[in-house]
Amino acid sequence: MSGRVLAAIAALFLVLGLVAAGTAAAQPAGGDAPSVTIQATPGAGVSTASRDIATGSGAGMAILFWALALGTVGGAAFVLTRRNLIAAVMGMVGTFLALAGLYMMLYASFLAVIQMLVYAGAIMVLFVFVIMVLNRPEDEPWGMVGLPGKALAGLAMLYLLVRLVMLVWSVNVPDTALVAPAAVAFPGDAAHTVYEFGSTAAVGTSLFSDYLFPFEAISILLLIAVVGAIAVARPLNDADELPGAQPPAPTGGH
Amino acid sequence: MNDLLTHIGYGHFLVLAAVLFVMGVAGVLMRRNALIIMMSIELMLNAANLTVLTFARMHGDVSGHTFALIVIAVAAAEVAVGLAIVVALFRGRRHVDVDRLNTLKH
Repeated sequence: MSGRVLAAIAALFLVLGLVAAGTAAAQPAGGDAPSVTIQATPGAGVSTASRDIATGSGAGMAILFWALALGTVGGAAFVLTRRNLIAAVMGMVGTFLALAGLYMMLYASFLAVIQMLVYAGAIMVLFVFVIMVLNRPEDEPWGMVGLPGKALAGLAMLYLLVRLVMLVWSVNVPDTALVAPAAVAFPGDAAHTVYEFGSTAAVGTSLFSDYLFPFEAISILLLIAVVGAIAVARPLNDADELPGAQPPAPTGGH
Repeated sequence: MNDLLTHIGYGHFLVLAAVLFVMGVAGVLMRRNALIIMMSIELMLNAANLTVLTFARMHGDVSGHTFALIVIAVAAAEVAVGLAIVVALFRGRRHVDVDRLNTLKH
């Protein structure tokens, strides 16, 4: 298969992820009253029955989930198998967008938007920039050196998958599975404001009240990462600033 | 079986996250390009995020969302530093094949 065909398939994954994310965004909003639950008592503002994913819109949600799951796993398969790095990155973006749709299904609307902005936006651009610098497809993606070790690794991954699935399958799922979560209140709040689950206001209130220290620590970490990235990627001397460029002609004072 | 296909529960999300995580592990263990390995690490972080958000939904607790947000921020920092290391490696060696990056071994 030529590179263009692969790029087209990757673009298909991208479109699939986008459409699915859009559909998932539209789904919870449709069919029930605007559920801004400020000044409501917990649980009274949102009618749980009409927002039940499983029973409220059964088949549609199932189709949506399987489409998003296909996008997720298909994109990951692209990352694993493609020689062309751009195709791999596009598969990764498809995975991220499909995951944003899944976050929407889990009522994590704020996190879904952040997922699209940070992963499908910023991190993808960073990867594409580095691929532009490198611009060299792999000789042999899977590498036949150390084949016994790789067979062992495959077996170990199979074992890991089986154990993980056994672990999560034994999770005690409550009977009220996938009923829309109740509105959220915070104990320290004197005004007893109630927020919709997963909304920006709820996440922000949690972030700036209970988790203020991790938030500040993240700001320090990002600062260190920026400085560190510049320090690591900076050329050690001027001669290899441009890869493949001729060394500058001696011009007297240097 | 039909019920498993049409009745989507929390287990579906958790198993999907497990599959995604194992695919990320496969990428890290089997691919040779350092960039692909970093993408696979991102896949694993996203699988962990999906698990966290599923459990947050299950317990109706927004703290899980805060946790996922912090994971995303850490992933962004990790990508920035990791890609800088990849660029620095490429500048010196003209390849980013981890099977050939064995200077410290010999």
